[in-house]
Amino acid sequence: MSQALIELVKQSFPDAVLESHSQLGDDTLVLAPGRWKEVCRFLKDHEQSSMNMLIDLTAVDFPNREPRFEVVAHLYSLDRGHRLRLKTRVGDRDGETVELDTIADLWGSANWLERECYDLFGVTFVGHPDLRRILLYPEFDGHPLRKDYPAERIQPLLQYRDEPNINKVAPFGPDEGMPFGRQTHKFGIEGEDDHLAPRPRVITPADN
Amino acid sequence: MEPLDQDLDASELELPTEPMLLNVGPAHPAMHGTVRIVMELSGEVIERCDVQVGYLHRGFEKMCERGNWTQVFPYADRLNYVSPMLNNVGFSLACEKLLGVTVPERCQWYRMILGEMARISDHLTCDGAMAMELGAFTPFLWMIKCREMVWEVMEEETGARMTHSFGRIGGMAAPPTDGFKDHVRAVVAHIMQVLGEVERLLLGNRIFLDRLENVGVISAEDAISLGWTGPCLRAAGVPYDVRKAHPYMKYGEVDFDVPVGTNSDSFDRFMVRIAEMRQSARIIEQCLERMPDSGPVNVDDPRIILPPKNEVYNTIEGTIQHFKIVMEGVKLPAGEVYGYTEAGNGEFGFYLVSDGSGTPYRVRIRPPCFLVTAGLERVITGQMMADVVPSFGSLNMIGGECDR
Amino acid sequence: MPSFKLDDKEIPFEPGDTIIRAAHRAGVDVPHYCWHPGLSVAANCRMCLVELMPPPGRPAMMLDVLSWDDLHQTYLPQKKPKLQPACQQAAADGMVVKSQTSEHAVRARSAVQELLLLNHPVDCPICDQAGECRLQDYWLEHQASKKRMRDEPVHKPKGVVFGPTIVYDAERCIMCTRCVRVSAELAKDPVLSMRERGNLNEITVAPGRQLDHNYTLMTEYVCPVGALTSSDFRFKARVWFLRSARTTCVGCATGCSSFTDFDPRNQHVYRYRPRENMAVNKYWMCDEGMLDYQRIHQNRVLEPRLKGEDVSDAAALARAAEIIQASAPQKTAILLSAQHSNEDNLALLDLGRAIGALQIFYTGRPPGKGDDILMSEDKNPNRAGVLALSGGRAKPLADLAAALKEGKIGALIALGSAIENPNQAAALSGSAQIVALSSHHGPIADAAAVVLPASSWAEADGTFVNRLGLYQESDRAIVPQGHSRPAFRWVQELAKRLGLALPWSKAAELRALSQAPATPSPSVAPPAASSPPSASPPGGE
Repeated sequence: MSQALIELVKQSFPDAVLESHSQLGDDTLVLAPGRWKEVCRFLKDHEQSSMNMLIDLTAVDFPNREPRFEVVAHLYSLDRGHRLRLKTRVGDRDGETVELDTIADLWGSANWLERECYDLFGVTFVGHPDLRRILLYPEFDGHPLRKDYPAERIQPLLQYRDEPNINKVAPFGPDEGMPFGRQTHKFGIEGEDDHLAPRPRVITPADN
Repeated sequence: MEPLDQDLDASELELPTEPMLLNVGPAHPAMHGTVRIVMELSGEVIERCDVQVGYLHRGFEKMCERGNWTQVFPYADRLNYVSPMLNNVGFSLACEKLLGVTVPERCQWYRMILGEMARISDHLTCDGAMAMELGAFTPFLWMIKCREMVWEVMEEETGARMTHSFGRIGGMAAPPTDGFKDHVRAVVAHIMQVLGEVERLLLGNRIFLDRLENVGVISAEDAISLGWTGPCLRAAGVPYDVRKAHPYMKYGEVDFDVPVGTNSDSFDRFMVRIAEMRQSARIIEQCLERMPDSGPVNVDDPRIILPPKNEVYNTIEGTIQHFKIVMEGVKLPAGEVYGYTEAGNGEFGFYLVSDGSGTPYRVRIRPPCFLVTAGLERVITGQMMADVVPSFGSLNMIGGECDR
Repeated sequence: MPSFKLDDKEIPFEPGDTIIRAAHRAGVDVPHYCWHPGLSVAANCRMCLVELMPPPGRPAMMLDVLSWDDLHQTYLPQKKPKLQPACQQAAADGMVVKSQTSEHAVRARSAVQELLLLNHPVDCPICDQAGECRLQDYWLEHQASKKRMRDEPVHKPKGVVFGPTIVYDAERCIMCTRCVRVSAELAKDPVLSMRERGNLNEITVAPGRQLDHNYTLMTEYVCPVGALTSSDFRFKARVWFLRSARTTCVGCATGCSSFTDFDPRNQHVYRYRPRENMAVNKYWMCDEGMLDYQRIHQNRVLEPRLKGEDVSDAAALARAAEIIQASAPQKTAILLSAQHSNEDNLALLDLGRAIGALQIFYTGRPPGKGDDILMSEDKNPNRAGVLALSGGRAKPLADLAAALKEGKIGALIALGSAIENPNQAAALSGSAQIVALSSHHGPIADAAAVVLPASSWAEADGTFVNRLGLYQESDRAIVPQGHSRPAFRWVQELAKRLGLALPWSKAAELRALSQAPATPSPSVAPPAASSPPSASPPGGE
């Protein structure tokens, strides 16, 4: 559609562009992984492209290829109305070291999109401020959207988490996070005068 | 509270100095579709928060890789489950883009009408829920009743109220029923009337306005950087609507406006949706006039469309066609495509990778409200605890779409 | 290498090749029904029609035809090039052939497909060929439109029993005559022929005969539609639920390559299909071999047995170890099986070596019918393998019977189920205690003190050596049934209990040792019990 964009990137980064096509009207560029962030920044800031929106960032797993994962980003320019698909190929056959520079400092949307990509594919984004799982729980074993993760696999059962201050986080703790102000009354038959307890006792977790 | 007969100076009250951690959700009446927000509060003000999604993650993208292309439609339905027709239409359009076919005109008008009805149902739910969470229970019930009427139209047409799996690659599962146009006209007229009543009830209410105005403000730059689209972005003042910017089907031939907000607060998001419902009604009216009453709904290609049942039972060609399409699935050519439409929450895209066999290689769903929810942190940080509810409600996070 | 161009792709060919054969070798498909690489050319289906561009300097051969003109709503005379059948046209160097890129060829194929489906019954839901039917595949690829006939289709006999194995449906038949040619050329028994003419055509069996030669299931295999069905396989399974494993037939010493089709949901084998192997069986298999899959599920020993009673694995192994330890090494013997793979036999040989047993025997199934096409009289797949592994030292059944009678054997560790001479079954129940690793009930399992259930050939990877000395691998199809395990696993367990070390521990290691030796052992005697075929089966290049 807009060949101009492809031409612009090819001229500015001739050695970063590995392939390009415009099948079905979608302009696509395949970049070398080392130049990923540079080209993204260029596309965002350059006046002719002004890609101010990162629409989507995801990955596709090709287990028979080396490099194995293809990270795909869709960029859009609100001002100019043109789109571009950027792809780059990372990762070894086993899926052990899959690394790519983060673009979370360029577009805020990349923060959660890269977290999702890490969660489901295991792509590590170097420099990401908070790279942890987003859709799955932290103890999940494996990366489910990889082709070698069988869909029928059952995850092991886990113990409840041992979080610090879990008792202060409602509704688990007995005092809802407020350590003062609670009175306890013991209505014993022995007839102790403890309903007039002189001062409130602080119930600590150690007492339970 | 400490007992009143307590000598305050003599007591050893320990006032806490660290911020309070409050866990909102995931099972919480105001957390639409299970979201957990872990907040650090200082008094009522939220210092920091961590929005944790994923409680409704069902692994759609993985499951799509295990069937054929037509079997993705039930999954697509269950994404934004308050406007399932828009998801169906979005996926059909993405597949048809890869195939290179265009559905007949009648089908395009039909899809537009049903899609806009679904959008109305989406906005009714969002605004009704917002009102209810602020204590206004009556407009919620009125709007839900309107949503019921929309669902009755859907049931009449598709057989199911909500998740109808009605879209097909190359058309729709069935042609419109005879009473379709009259039914839709009556329902839309009623909804517009109810909208007027809701506005009269809510917009003069001091409490309602105070709780929504200047609450949950986000700047347009932040919204754009976060990848927001849809009513939330338009409330921030950016007039981006896929139907206007990149028209698909017949959206280029109908007149409608794109409501845009000014303050980018929760109130604007609420009002943008009300205005969009009115615009949807406008679109529906024009489509109803222009939709032909007869003609094919499906594209005429035996490789992707099932033959009529009497042909399947009586001719060998019909049997073979039915057999091949059902057993081997529609074979989309190898390649990749990004097809996008305007769904209830914004730009709803499908990035499809096909390897030429009938099984999808990769179906990536670009969920608009995933990115909107990513912005929730920025929206509620610095606000008070009580503002979380209307702000979050105004973002219209649908768990099915966000988590897939 | 002479070559011609097919749709702008260079296809090399050998002198004498037809276009379709050269394309088939290059992996390019020209649609066809009646052509088969292993049969003679009939050229009656006309599906492989291609357009040949005329040689340079010569005009194209054009035919006068009447063509429907939509604009004028009448038939108008036109010219179209004469198309040639690719199965019959000999390839010439520099020829330019158009198949998919020629609109005439595309239209011709659509027309042929329409004519073939004109009288075809609406049988897909009940037809066994559904899922592997050429009519279905080619309709979608080449026609994709409705037929123009509005009359009632011609009705012909359905469910005609041709013989004990084949049922014929004349309405589904497209008269390609592949079955006629298979009977005449492969089985050398021209019992099928065509009768009647025009749209009343059917295939018929010669009067007074039945379709009963040894290759009747090959007629079903070559039939591209569901006209010929195997009465054994009909209505049993739908092919899209079946998965195929690349196996070797264990019916006789020929060792034809086969596909074992099984349903992974219930782990049941439903049929064999021949696999192309130009060195052994070309494209074919005999009926006996095709039906041999039934033995995988019949008459099996699936639980360990102690004197006729089912026991646990541990109890059986304990008793087996007891028996072996109670016997002195010079009185312990092993019985190899020409029915089992090299892996199983080598495992037992290694165990015998570790025990110190010097008496080695072997046996197998009794001989049967053979012919000079594919069937061998020796009904054991691995005689040559057993003899090679044992260095020619394994002695036949008669010697085992003599040794048993003379009381030279205290304990016998036996692999396999059948013995070559059923009359000597009584000799087995004597003084010796038998530990049997059997997959089926039979004389050995019946006479044994302990039976450990071995897996059949379909439940483990195995290497078999056929009568030509070829080492062929057979892959696992289903998981071991019941409590059975591959025989080499039982041997491993026994060795562990006896405290003996084996030279391998993983299956892959055992497999490597069972493969063809780098230098063949000089003591391999050529197999005496079977004779090589005098005439090779048809289908040579």
